[in-house]
Amino acid sequence: MAPAKGHFSILYFAAAATFTGRSSEELPAPVKARSLFAQLEDRYPGITAKVLSSCAVTMNLEYIDIDGDDAPQWDLVIQEGDEVAIIPPVSSG
Amino acid sequence: MAPISIIESLRQQITSCEAQLEDLRRQLAEAEHYQQQRREQDGLRQTTSAFLDPLTHDMSYGIHDDFRSEVFAALSQVEDDSPSRKWPLDRTEYKRYGRQLIMPEIGLQGQLRLKHASVLVIGVGGLGCPAAAYLAGAGVGTLGLADGDVVEESNLHRQILHSTSRIGMTKVDSARVALNSLNPNVKFIAHSRLSPESAISTIQKYDLVLDCTDTPASRYLISDACVLLGKPLVSASALRTDGQLMVLNNPPQPPGDTRGGPCYRCVFPKPPPAESVVSCGDGGILGPVVGVMGVLQALEAIKVLARQTKSGFNNSTPPVAEPPTLLIFSAYANPIFRSIRLRTRKPKCAACSAQASVTHAALNSGSLDYVQFCGSISPINALASNERISVENYAKIRLDVNPFTGMEPSKDSHILVDVREKVQFDLCSLEGSVNIPFSVVTTTPAIGSNGAGNGDQDEEGRDWVSELKRHPEKPIFVVCRLGNDSQLSVKKMKQLGLDHGGQRWIGDIRGGLNAWRENVESDFPDY
Repeated sequence: MAPAKGHFSILYFAAAATFTGRSSEELPAPVKARSLFAQLEDRYPGITAKVLSSCAVTMNLEYIDIDGDDAPQWDLVIQEGDEVAIIPPVSSG
Repeated sequence: MAPISIIESLRQQITSCEAQLEDLRRQLAEAEHYQQQRREQDGLRQTTSAFLDPLTHDMSYGIHDDFRSEVFAALSQVEDDSPSRKWPLDRTEYKRYGRQLIMPEIGLQGQLRLKHASVLVIGVGGLGCPAAAYLAGAGVGTLGLADGDVVEESNLHRQILHSTSRIGMTKVDSARVALNSLNPNVKFIAHSRLSPESAISTIQKYDLVLDCTDTPASRYLISDACVLLGKPLVSASALRTDGQLMVLNNPPQPPGDTRGGPCYRCVFPKPPPAESVVSCGDGGILGPVVGVMGVLQALEAIKVLARQTKSGFNNSTPPVAEPPTLLIFSAYANPIFRSIRLRTRKPKCAACSAQASVTHAALNSGSLDYVQFCGSISPINALASNERISVENYAKIRLDVNPFTGMEPSKDSHILVDVREKVQFDLCSLEGSVNIPFSVVTTTPAIGSNGAGNGDQDEEGRDWVSELKRHPEKPIFVVCRLGNDSQLSVKKMKQLGLDHGGQRWIGDIRGGLNAWRENVESDFPDY
């Protein structure tokens, strides 16, 4: 289950899975957490506005805050083997 | 058409009312039977008859007769002078809650805390029904129920407090009937749909809140009000096969106190774009998915209430709380649950930080526009009137002889494109229609654009375009479920050049299959 060498795994939940058409994939590591959205936008045009802008992002089951240049994890680097998750808010019930 | 549907509707209403009446009669009978039983039991105790089964003669109830009468005398005495009662719970409560009372997590003190607690369940649907059922079952003293909807048939596969006989009844009333027969010891309070104006005054009276609603706007409103009032909030949601659960504002310290738990805005500061928000009606929901989330809400509420020693935020030491987590449920993933560790309150949170802009005054004055904050989608009106056709006129093209040309109706004279997703198309469709799902239409790149992804995928995604181009003379009618996606699809098809520079007519069928069923073919399935 561990991602291939030089990669991290990324999980897509709810609307993120619908938009990307997949529940997970592996992307090259290392990568700065704050450039993750730009990278995803390249792969899935339109995903930032439609999904990512309102999402929670986690790394290794921990919420990370990369919103704004004074965000606590602005300098965080996603390393090989890490597990990142894109979690859009689900609002229905 | 119209008179028939009125008659049909009246028939249905009569059937529904008769079923409700039947249900009430049954409940009355049950209640009378129960009362009768109680009387008989009490009577039995007083007479303590020794002429029943010889084997039980001496030891019925496991106690010797002599003792037994004493015990019963003592018990009835306890009942009589209830103010100076010996036991903190009623006799029936020990019995009813016995299985949870003997657990160290609850115990007598926990049960008493539940009994003295009041919980507001906002939304009595897929989440609220199971949550309220378990809270009532566990003996929460007061349960508030807030909802503005009535029970519909399409609710019943997941909203377990409602029943077929109560279709048309308000959800709050229906839930009260069910909950009251589950546990008559609980006090139920009915509320209408929560609004920004009523949020503070409604939530104020409760110790803890369950957010079981279904829109982003209500989630922010409830979270804000809970932060301002110092109420812990158990928030859950579900759609399709996914669910989320958080215990927020726990401990419920005042805004600016970093020891307090994060609020909904800390986790999701920005609402999702309105056009991307999908309801259970449009996106679908599996009953057990939303059920499991509602059951977990009840569990978290019981954990908070049974443990809590003080409430409100006027005490100097905050009550101990578990570290905040976001529980993700994904029914078809492995593992099925993931627990995300959340951060503490966000330093710049608009609601719970020292810099909060959400205040009592702002909320009460109505200056916080939650609908605007979350955006709203007005009904789509993307096409000109000559790009649209009513269902009645489309029916003529399909079914009637053309009054001018005398031509037989023909399904071959045009192309009918149904843009619902395949799974819906497979449920029911108009004869001769071709399925090109909206998700395929919208993601098909325009010619010459360098879309991302590999070339094969682009080719595959464009198959339908070349297919439609093979019959350049036939007009294209586009239909969907409600008439929104069909309009956007018409626009996209024109962008893709399928109208041959305006030579071919492409338009949408106004109101979609919903309108088709209402005005043309009444037995077309309504799902």
